Amino acid sequence: METEYTKQIRDKARELLENGTVECVIGYETGTDGINARPAFIYDPADVERLVFDNTCSHNLVKYLLNMKGKPTAVVVKGCDSRALNLLLAEKQLQRDNIYVIGVVCPGVVEWGWNKQSDKLQKRCVLCRQHTPLIHDILLGEPVTEEPPPDFTDVAEMEAMSSEERAAFWQEQVERCIRCYACRQACPGCYCIDCFVEQLDPEWVGIRIAPGENLMWNTIRAFHLAGRCVACNECERVCPVNIPLSLLNRKLEQEVLDLFDYRPGMSEDAIAPLITFKKDEKLGIGE
Amino acid sequence: MTKVLGRSELESWLGEIMRERTLVAPRRIDDLVLFTPVQSVDEIAFDFDNTNLSPKEFFFPRTETLFTTVYKDGEVELTPAVIDRETVIFGIRPCDARGIAICDGPYLGDPPDSLWAQHREKTTLIGLACTRPAPQCFCSSMGSAPNDSSNVDILLTEVEDGYAVEVITEKGENLLQGVELKDSDVKPVAPSCDASVPADGIVEAVKKSFDDIYWSRLADRCIHCNICAYVCPTCYCFDIRDYKRGDVIERIRTWESCQSKGFTRIAGGYDPRADKGSRLRQRFCHKLLYFPEQFGPLGCVGCGRCVVACPVNIDIREIISDIQETGAKVGQGSN
Amino acid sequence: MSADNGPRIIGFLCNWCSYAGADMAGTSRISYPSNIRIIRVPCSGRVDPMIIVKCFQEGADAVLVAGCHPGDCHYNEGNYYSRRHFALLRELLDFMGIDKERFRVEWVSASEGKRFSQIVSRFTEDMKKMGSREAV
Repeated sequence: METEYTKQIRDKARELLENGTVECVIGYETGTDGINARPAFIYDPADVERLVFDNTCSHNLVKYLLNMKGKPTAVVVKGCDSRALNLLLAEKQLQRDNIYVIGVVCPGVVEWGWNKQSDKLQKRCVLCRQHTPLIHDILLGEPVTEEPPPDFTDVAEMEAMSSEERAAFWQEQVERCIRCYACRQACPGCYCIDCFVEQLDPEWVGIRIAPGENLMWNTIRAFHLAGRCVACNECERVCPVNIPLSLLNRKLEQEVLDLFDYRPGMSEDAIAPLITFKKDEKLGIGE
Repeated sequence: MTKVLGRSELESWLGEIMRERTLVAPRRIDDLVLFTPVQSVDEIAFDFDNTNLSPKEFFFPRTETLFTTVYKDGEVELTPAVIDRETVIFGIRPCDARGIAICDGPYLGDPPDSLWAQHREKTTLIGLACTRPAPQCFCSSMGSAPNDSSNVDILLTEVEDGYAVEVITEKGENLLQGVELKDSDVKPVAPSCDASVPADGIVEAVKKSFDDIYWSRLADRCIHCNICAYVCPTCYCFDIRDYKRGDVIERIRTWESCQSKGFTRIAGGYDPRADKGSRLRQRFCHKLLYFPEQFGPLGCVGCGRCVVACPVNIDIREIISDIQETGAKVGQGSN
Repeated sequence: MSADNGPRIIGFLCNWCSYAGADMAGTSRISYPSNIRIIRVPCSGRVDPMIIVKCFQEGADAVLVAGCHPGDCHYNEGNYYSRRHFALLRELLDFMGIDKERFRVEWVSASEGKRFSQIVSRFTEDMKKMGSREAV
């Protein structure tokens, strides 16, 4: 399925590759089911016809920039992806001057799955508050000026459960986890060369694929993203056993908003809340 | 004459089985279908394409204790793990059964892996032929078929009045002791599955493609998670580590995958597969070149789980086609 | 919770303020329940949230982190960071079914021996009422 954007992206990609501005354009192409998009890496201007943009372009392509070893690269970003880009720039993982950002005002992507044809918007798109990419060298589409207020109904629903019910719910989820680490690999905020879960000295978690270790894995990964998660929801999309990971990240997103009035990824100069402090703040701790 | 078991007779038979043995069957859990031990026939999903995770975990669990040791009175007392309970897996598809038989190659070598051997010995497979292969299935391209009975103890095929029953092994015959089968004229339908994936000659083609830049380009979008290996019925790599608690040391084995960064890192820090292209190439070379060269069959059964589960649509069928097409083109090598 | 002994509480006390405060309770002969197992750390800011989660995963019934009062940190800023980290961690753990009340952060100075013992006594009582947890 092609859209207006498809032609514009192809034209821009051809131009950037032909005049040598970039060595590679990271965008989307249609996958083997003929329905859902997958990431595409275009090196040759003759291949730009592979590129598409449609409502199955779920992937966050920003993380791939970390693999490009500083080579000038163009990347297609939606609103959420642009926040991931801001995050990586703010954390000094990427250099702005070797990235050409093709921003796309995204109306939302549908549920993604191999051979899955869906009209249903992903949950994160229903809740989206950043349709317009915050960072771009070219912007495709009309910027959205009005964004809805934050909606954390899903978090509230979980909080309405009793402590025991929540414990039972998460026990069931961590039993399912197979520690494939797809959530980590897909997440733009997870780029540590040696992830805590692979550390041997001290061995925080251990290799056992069992509820205790799985609880440690999922809880601490969520915590390491506190104040950093940009809600692209790739983690939840890629999970092969459908663990509702977004609930953990969104709970922390809400807390960070309430306590520090902070939204991650809104600027490339932002300072994350957990690496700073205010002397006189009251956070309900130790009072 | 076909031997047939009615649906309700099947259910009572399964109910009997679960009294003395662990019965593992497909179960619906939210949007997933997973093989799990079941306590009641009501938990079983009889109508499903295939499970999200393969049943290999009943032979090669995601975490397994190999043995424990205790240092007592100046002596080391080692207690190996023993599998003493009989298991029956109901509803295993021919592709998955073939996957387990394929893993027998490395696991039942000389010497055999004691735990795999015990699981195999203690497990009976009640296969369920596929009456409607799913879009991702291609077992017919990989040396099997939707009604392939080679690797199960009993093969059931859904027919109008229940299930056609084919007894394949003595183990299967023993399990059916005391079960009344009806005679029927009905003929089990053998549906076709995708036979178009060009797997003939793939071993040679992959060998020729080793230095092609194709692998590096393909790996561009791979995120190097472990999903493909973990859902795959024929992937069998593992990690082993010892854990001490009090006086007891436990040696455990868990799933691991050649895709993780650091899988091949060795003491001193050198990693021969540090780059993405090498790691991704390894998976396909193993399945389509090294494994068949060592053990005979291709290391892929055509279940299509990796196709469905891969977050970036790395599709082994597409790769096989691409490699056959590009042939011996030699490119610039990996990044 | 062991059969006779009551809740298992792990305490992380910073060396300069709260550990000294606990010592003071000792030298003043003020008693408090021995359910708490104290681990001395240089600063409350050193207590990695991973350690807290591990305690709960291993079956701790409760965790206490005690540090210097904000503004008095021996390392100037450690407790300002820990205040933020633990505010979020507490919410996350509660969300996952580990009751908020099981994880407490208190500011205890070196001269607050009596207050330390009161904090621990109250914590132990509350945990007895709340009941024990299983390891995951």
